[in-house]
Amino acid sequence: MSDGQRSPSAGTGQIVVSGLTKQYKNVRAVDDLSFTVEPGRVTGFLGPNGAGKTTTLRMLLNLVTPTAGTATIGGRRYADLTDPLRSVGAVLEASSAHKGRTGRNHLRVICAAAGLPASRADEALALVGLTPAANRKFKGYSLGMKQRLGIAAAMLGDPQVLILDEPANGLDPEGIRWMRGFLKGFATEGRTVLVSSHLLSEMQLLADDVVIIAAGKLVRQGPVEQVIGSMAHGVRVRVRTPQAAELTAALREQAATVDTDGHGALLVSGMDAPTVGRTALAAKVELHELTTERPDLEGVFLELTAGKAEIR
Amino acid sequence: MNLVRSELLKIRTTSTWWLLGIGAFLATALAFAINAWLAHQVLSGNAEDFGVSGEQASAAGQAANLYTSGQYLGLLFVMLIGILMVTNEFFHQTATTTFLTTPRRTSVILSKLGAASLLGFGFWLATTVIDLVAGTIFLTVDGHGTQLSEWPVHRALLLNLLAYAIWTILGVGIGTLIPNQLGAVITAAVLYLVGTQVVQLLFFLLSNWLDSQAVVKWQVVWPAVASQVMISGSSTELTPDWWVGALVLVGYALVSGVFGVLITRRRDIS
Repeated sequence: MSDGQRSPSAGTGQIVVSGLTKQYKNVRAVDDLSFTVEPGRVTGFLGPNGAGKTTTLRMLLNLVTPTAGTATIGGRRYADLTDPLRSVGAVLEASSAHKGRTGRNHLRVICAAAGLPASRADEALALVGLTPAANRKFKGYSLGMKQRLGIAAAMLGDPQVLILDEPANGLDPEGIRWMRGFLKGFATEGRTVLVSSHLLSEMQLLADDVVIIAAGKLVRQGPVEQVIGSMAHGVRVRVRTPQAAELTAALREQAATVDTDGHGALLVSGMDAPTVGRTALAAKVELHELTTERPDLEGVFLELTAGKAEIR
Repeated sequence: MNLVRSELLKIRTTSTWWLLGIGAFLATALAFAINAWLAHQVLSGNAEDFGVSGEQASAAGQAANLYTSGQYLGLLFVMLIGILMVTNEFFHQTATTTFLTTPRRTSVILSKLGAASLLGFGFWLATTVIDLVAGTIFLTVDGHGTQLSEWPVHRALLLNLLAYAIWTILGVGIGTLIPNQLGAVITAAVLYLVGTQVVQLLFFLLSNWLDSQAVVKWQVVWPAVASQVMISGSSTELTPDWWVGALVLVGYALVSGVFGVLITRRRDIS
């Protein structure tokens, strides 16, 4: 590609997935999937198990050949990157080092192949706090240490883009918090972070944007608040009362919408909690619970992917 | 060059190479002891008791045999290293990291071939130095001279080097064709060890059935037989010239290497 024909995303860390499809013998793992990932933001890549997240990431990284479609990073296919490790760092699975090799030697092997100085191995180990275990063999590493080693490997080339597949797996709460700070800091520097996960509460804390897929297809993409706000219901009030019929009638008189949650509580929308309380008081109805429920990523996710998460 | 360096570092940073190195050393020591005893017997007039005749019965022939002691198992070990260089990537799931670092997969396989050749050369050099030191001492003490200026000795050393190079490369080729570690090792062991006797028997039966002595020479198509033909450096009425064996082996290495590269380029790494 000559300079005159460069696509707008060239030189930046923008990821563009376009019409990506992977057909295995009996399963269409990824089905005409298109989305973009912007630099300077953390993008969560969400989907039920078997939705095609890992296959998509592997196609993006030239490890799996797509049946159709393209995936580019900064306007170029991964296979066409001249210096891939200096552009893209990827953490795909925790158990990807020779069991008999030390963590430091694992990184040195990668440095040698990528033409990076061996000193980068020690710098990357320090960055992820793994220096004390540098000379220990990989088979002695805990799951959390393996994840940190994977991130160290991804950071060797000081890349513009980070791609992580379920990085929180096996990390303890402290490790998860460390990872959150690390990825947010990385994005703040104007770099791109694409991270797949099924830990939705964690994603709500971490991600700026989300891409939600199910059964290989795109379900929703956008900033987290926007995706949550786009759902049919907004804020709801959960009420418990022994006099459900009386309260329902009183609330409906005030033009509120009342549903039951199927477990004995009422879900009121179109009215805030103080007004629900006041209405109950006026109707002399006894209340056992009065909670404001804001929609969260988990609720939105479950609603969006309902019925699409079956084993394929 | 970076890639070859990386491949050599991969070998150096695990225990495989020195385990196989110790194996090769023990095999060399054992083979040398047997060959030295044989040389002593043959050269002190008992050649016919051992079925040794012609060039093999000369001091130069026995010296050549002695100077290539440990070759039989040594070749197996370097082939195993070649195989493990590839299958380890799948067994330990490092293929992902390797191909992320270098998306040009052909370069990865070629660098493995390069590193394997260097390693094969290293094994040849080490065993040959041991054989030469021990061999010259033994032959001198036993009163036959070192024989180091004889062509059959030079020829044996060079063909030995060729065998080490080809079998290591063949190992890499087998590894790319059969990424399953156990499957590849067993296949290779069968090709190299078990095969020979079975193949010889089959070809003798075939030649009897066809009533043609020439058919027996065709057993050279089997890699292990081709290797023996090549190493022997001379032809008999049952085997073709040494270069036929060399061509067959090079052919196997080329075919497995080319198919290995093609398959690896298309393979989904997951």
